[in-house]
Amino acid sequence: MILKSIMHCYLPLLLCVAAVAAGSVPDDSSENSRTTTSKWLCDSTDLCLPEEDLLPENGQMQPKHRFESQLDCRLSCGKYGAIWPMPTGECSLSNDRVHFDPWKVRFNVVAPNEVTTQFLRETNRLFVSNLLKECTRNCTLVSSKEVLVKATVNDSSLVLNWSTDESYMMVVRTTDTVSFVDIKATTVYGARLAFETLSNLVTGSVSNGLLLVSSARIIDRPAYPHRGLLLDTSRNFLPLRYIRNTLDAMAASKLNVLHWHVVDTHSFPLEITRVPEMQRYGAYSNTQTYSHTDALNLVKYARLRGIRIILEIDGPSHAGNGWQWGPAAGLGNMSVCLNKTPWRSYCVQPPCGQLNPLNDHMFAVLKEILEDVAELGAPEETIHMGGDEVYIPCWNRTEEITNEMKARGYDLSEESFLRLWSQFHQRNVQAWDDINLRMYPSVRESKPVILWSSRLTDPETIEQLLPKERFIIQTWVSADNSLNRNLLQRGYRLLISTKDAWYLDHGFWGSTSYYNWRKVYDNALPLDPRKRQERQVLGGEVCMWSEYVDQNSLEARIWPRAGAAAERLWSNPKSSANLAQRRFYRYRERLIARGIHPDAVVPHWCVLHEGQCL
Amino acid sequence: MLLLRRLRYLFKMSLAVSLRRALLLLLSGAIFILTVLYWNQGVIKTQSYNEAQLRPHIQKDHSSILIPLEKSWTYKCDNDRCVRVNYHRNGANVKRVSFISCSMTCGDINIWPHPTSKSQVSSHTLRFSVEDLQLRLDTPHHDVRRRLKLAFDVLVRQLRQIQRLEYASPHAEAMASASEPSAKSTDAAESPLAGGLFSSTFGSHRSGDLDSLHVKLSVHESDELNFNLDNDESYELVTSLDHRRLIVHIRAKTFFGARHGLSTLQQLIWYDDEERLLRTYASSVVNDAPKFRYRGLMLDTSRHFFSVDAIKRTISAMGLAKLNRFHWHITDAQSFPYISRHYPELAEHGAYSDSETYSEQDVREVNEYAKIFGVQVLLEIDAPAHAGNGWDWGPKRGLGELSLCINQQPWSFYCGEPPCGQLNPKNNHTYLILQRLYEEFLQLTGPTDIFHLGGDEVNLDCWAQYFNDTDLRGLWCDFMLQSNARLKVANGNVAPKHVVVWSSALTNTKCLPNSQFVVQVWGGSTWQENYDLLDNGYNIIFSHVDAWYLDCGFGSWRATGEAACSPYRTWQNVYKHRPWERMRLDKKRRKQVLGGEACLWTEQVDEGQLDNRLWPRVAALAERLWSDPNDDHDFDIVPPEVFRRISVFRNRLVELGIKAEALFPKYCAQNPGECI
Repeated sequence: MILKSIMHCYLPLLLCVAAVAAGSVPDDSSENSRTTTSKWLCDSTDLCLPEEDLLPENGQMQPKHRFESQLDCRLSCGKYGAIWPMPTGECSLSNDRVHFDPWKVRFNVVAPNEVTTQFLRETNRLFVSNLLKECTRNCTLVSSKEVLVKATVNDSSLVLNWSTDESYMMVVRTTDTVSFVDIKATTVYGARLAFETLSNLVTGSVSNGLLLVSSARIIDRPAYPHRGLLLDTSRNFLPLRYIRNTLDAMAASKLNVLHWHVVDTHSFPLEITRVPEMQRYGAYSNTQTYSHTDALNLVKYARLRGIRIILEIDGPSHAGNGWQWGPAAGLGNMSVCLNKTPWRSYCVQPPCGQLNPLNDHMFAVLKEILEDVAELGAPEETIHMGGDEVYIPCWNRTEEITNEMKARGYDLSEESFLRLWSQFHQRNVQAWDDINLRMYPSVRESKPVILWSSRLTDPETIEQLLPKERFIIQTWVSADNSLNRNLLQRGYRLLISTKDAWYLDHGFWGSTSYYNWRKVYDNALPLDPRKRQERQVLGGEVCMWSEYVDQNSLEARIWPRAGAAAERLWSNPKSSANLAQRRFYRYRERLIARGIHPDAVVPHWCVLHEGQCL
Repeated sequence: MLLLRRLRYLFKMSLAVSLRRALLLLLSGAIFILTVLYWNQGVIKTQSYNEAQLRPHIQKDHSSILIPLEKSWTYKCDNDRCVRVNYHRNGANVKRVSFISCSMTCGDINIWPHPTSKSQVSSHTLRFSVEDLQLRLDTPHHDVRRRLKLAFDVLVRQLRQIQRLEYASPHAEAMASASEPSAKSTDAAESPLAGGLFSSTFGSHRSGDLDSLHVKLSVHESDELNFNLDNDESYELVTSLDHRRLIVHIRAKTFFGARHGLSTLQQLIWYDDEERLLRTYASSVVNDAPKFRYRGLMLDTSRHFFSVDAIKRTISAMGLAKLNRFHWHITDAQSFPYISRHYPELAEHGAYSDSETYSEQDVREVNEYAKIFGVQVLLEIDAPAHAGNGWDWGPKRGLGELSLCINQQPWSFYCGEPPCGQLNPKNNHTYLILQRLYEEFLQLTGPTDIFHLGGDEVNLDCWAQYFNDTDLRGLWCDFMLQSNARLKVANGNVAPKHVVVWSSALTNTKCLPNSQFVVQVWGGSTWQENYDLLDNGYNIIFSHVDAWYLDCGFGSWRATGEAACSPYRTWQNVYKHRPWERMRLDKKRRKQVLGGEACLWTEQVDEGQLDNRLWPRVAALAERLWSDPNDDHDFDIVPPEVFRRISVFRNRLVELGIKAEALFPKYCAQNPGECI
């Protein structure tokens, strides 16, 4: 009876084994699965090719090393293997592999204090969970080499801003019994990035477990300290889960700033604990909101992934819904032209709404909003105050404003309106300083705030309106515009969001066109004048405006294109996208493994057949 | 502090032991209260800076939040337009109206595609639950009966999904955040509470205004279940109320019409998130029939593989939009995912991997599923061009070269896009394999009066390397005629009434007989070939690249060369395209237009983006082909009424799990007409 049941259980298994054995006999009829049976080689032009495709009559030396799969080959084919974005310093990768079990990796953390140690422990945890996602088959190996990872960090601070040192050095070496990974970084953020690179040295094995490049030496630091992605949650709401996914993908791409355009004219989903009316009047519905705690947790979640969240409270334009309760509360019109039609007379995009710069109550409410925002971020964190697309005819057509202006001695010239507008920003910066002084007395210097480029940032007049010590300008002009150069000459610090390359929403509305990953990649940032000691181009951001995107298409619209910008901002390569494409395809597949749904960029055939789709 | 010391002093001096315990309790209570007061004072202090005095209302508002957080807005109908109003329930019993309930009862009938004849719905609506639905079949035909039952089951399943969605989504969010310790969502923590409260009191078991909702399906005239272009797809839907019993009577000549009626009924029912029940009209009359017979969608599963689930999901959405042909471009030069019974070598050599394949069972499953939705599955093996990988094993089997130029470089000399591959027109085995494939397809999908032979983008230079023929185009024509002859054999020696080929240089000659061949025109809508093909007597299916190619607009996927067909076609582009109007076709030529088809080539799409690349744009096509609404008043602007309906339809797709792309900011959906 027992025998019978054993037979029952094992018979199919036996058959299966027999079938596999039969299949592996090298006869003509079973060379179908060439991807699994044949060996792969890295040719002289850094292509991973199956052995039989590499013709000997090329007159080239046959490369010696055989890899078990295309993925294995990719790990060290080409100077940078599968690392995305590519390291800026030394990078050498061996062709040998260690076969290891991710469950058995051991970590040793050397950090100066409790908080940094704790941070690195979390980093280790995230690292392991990312490794497990690379397993093509079962992760567990019965016997494998031990992998010991040691991370050493000197700096005891967790401050993450534009002067945080994100550099790291990593050495992998393997002895007969064990592999050592030695990571050295100044800050925990540098160490975290090293772990990210380490995960790029790993791939799934065709058998169980994972493969690790057996020896490597990498020295790396980013070209720019601000490597950002803008996410707009006002035009269409994005559930938290999708923002967290975005943060995961950003971490995998070594991006370090999420510019959260959390509110706009369309809706006000963010809870302001001091002014609950904002959300109550501004949110699309009760489920389409972010509570204060949600936002706090999101900031924590991001920081563990080396990402700052910079919140943007746009004003005076792009502010409408959420502000409509003023008259009922006896505070007057805080936003004017609100949802006015025909919208073309009052704003650049429906619905209309622009803050009333002559209403003191509005400033009071805004200050409370700023206070909430200050509470959400780290002490060193700054804010984005918007300041784009002010539509002067809106103010000019609102009697309440024109009357008050006349009463205060303004004429109704354009200069007057610009003055009014710049005073709006100055007053808010003042409020921001007050708040920070009280809330974070330990932060000595007043923090610069970010504004979009606009009429106000016209190089001719900007110096009178916006002092360069206090305002960082995020430009969103096209690549051929001279604005960047002019502002740099005047000493302004810039964030670059090239409109005709890094606006990810383009191509789906009006006469805009879509920028594929190559165009995103090839978008070079303006050069620093280098006259001053201080860096002036802080970096850049790709922008995901959400008029035509919600959770259903968000990921595909952002990824993998934002990854192309990530390499531009991290490595600032001199080479074009063509040389990066195979690493890029591998990067895209890594995103998929991590649960992101990036857009497809080429037929799958082209990924499997390197160099055939030029 | 002074007060405390004094209390203790008093206590020591004068009180009996029995009272000590009580007093100790009192004292600690007092201390607690004092502490709390002191603490609060501190908090207020940090908040009270200059501006606070300007806003005394805040304290007042905190104590009595009038608006329940979950209900920010109510809607009222104003001039056939729903207007959003901030919802204050000032003690009075003013019921909040949810957006969807307003939208469904404000203005013209809100279904997609719009019915072609006069239709009416009452303003009186009734609440009910999915459990109230009952089916009454009124047909003498046994097989029709069976399939109607299946179609009705789909309706019930979808309505269940719609009714449940409200509870499902916040829960999912809560689950997601629970698994992520560093990100706990407070709104997710609140929602299950609210959901639980409501579902226990007004759960799905609570009946609304109805005891039952009878769906009566009458199909008498025809027992036809096979697809052909002459299927009568018209239907009539009448709803009447009899006490607490609502009767929806759908009358059609065929199963196909009745199924469309069910799709209409599904859209006449919506979930009222205020009542947490389904709602429908107390009375309605819809008379409906399509303007075009062939309303298709093409999906390419060769450039990227798509799972059977993804295909079925697509077909279910097609059914909702009343599209009726799923054109499955199952193979191409890149890969051959179909596992043929007779020639498994094709997939063995041509599939991306073992898992990225379709077995016969898979195809049968898709086909059976599609039948329920009134969608015919048309399989295409593109030939002679667009056939390379998978066809390379001929010599080893002694069958000779089945395909030529496979993966040849430089590709731009020998094909339209890499990798190259073009069937060998002078190898009898090639035709034999095609014949077998056709045979298998016909067996899997059932009898048909229309079949697709591919036939596009032949590169004559590829063949010129092998053959000395002076007339290579003649070779191409012979290939098509030969494969058509094989199709006839495969079809039991009966030639299908219609054989479709893509438009090409070949279709500009008259080599293919116009009595049988249908040309799927994919060139520009202004090209001369449009007129020529009609003049030459061909029937036509429009798939103009400049309007109905859904893959366009994502730039070139190769390092070299321009993007093939940018820009992106917005849903408005798809919707506004009316080639038969623009070409001013007379009655006779209009008859030659069988319909249209949207095409999704998948060089730059995989399963992750399938839904949002297709929807809601395919829906725009569906209305164009079903109702072909007039837009004489302005050729360039889509009327606000269309925005309103497609927005509701898009939300319906999302409710059913289709990840349709956003049409515009949600503000514009909540405020119809304000963003135009």
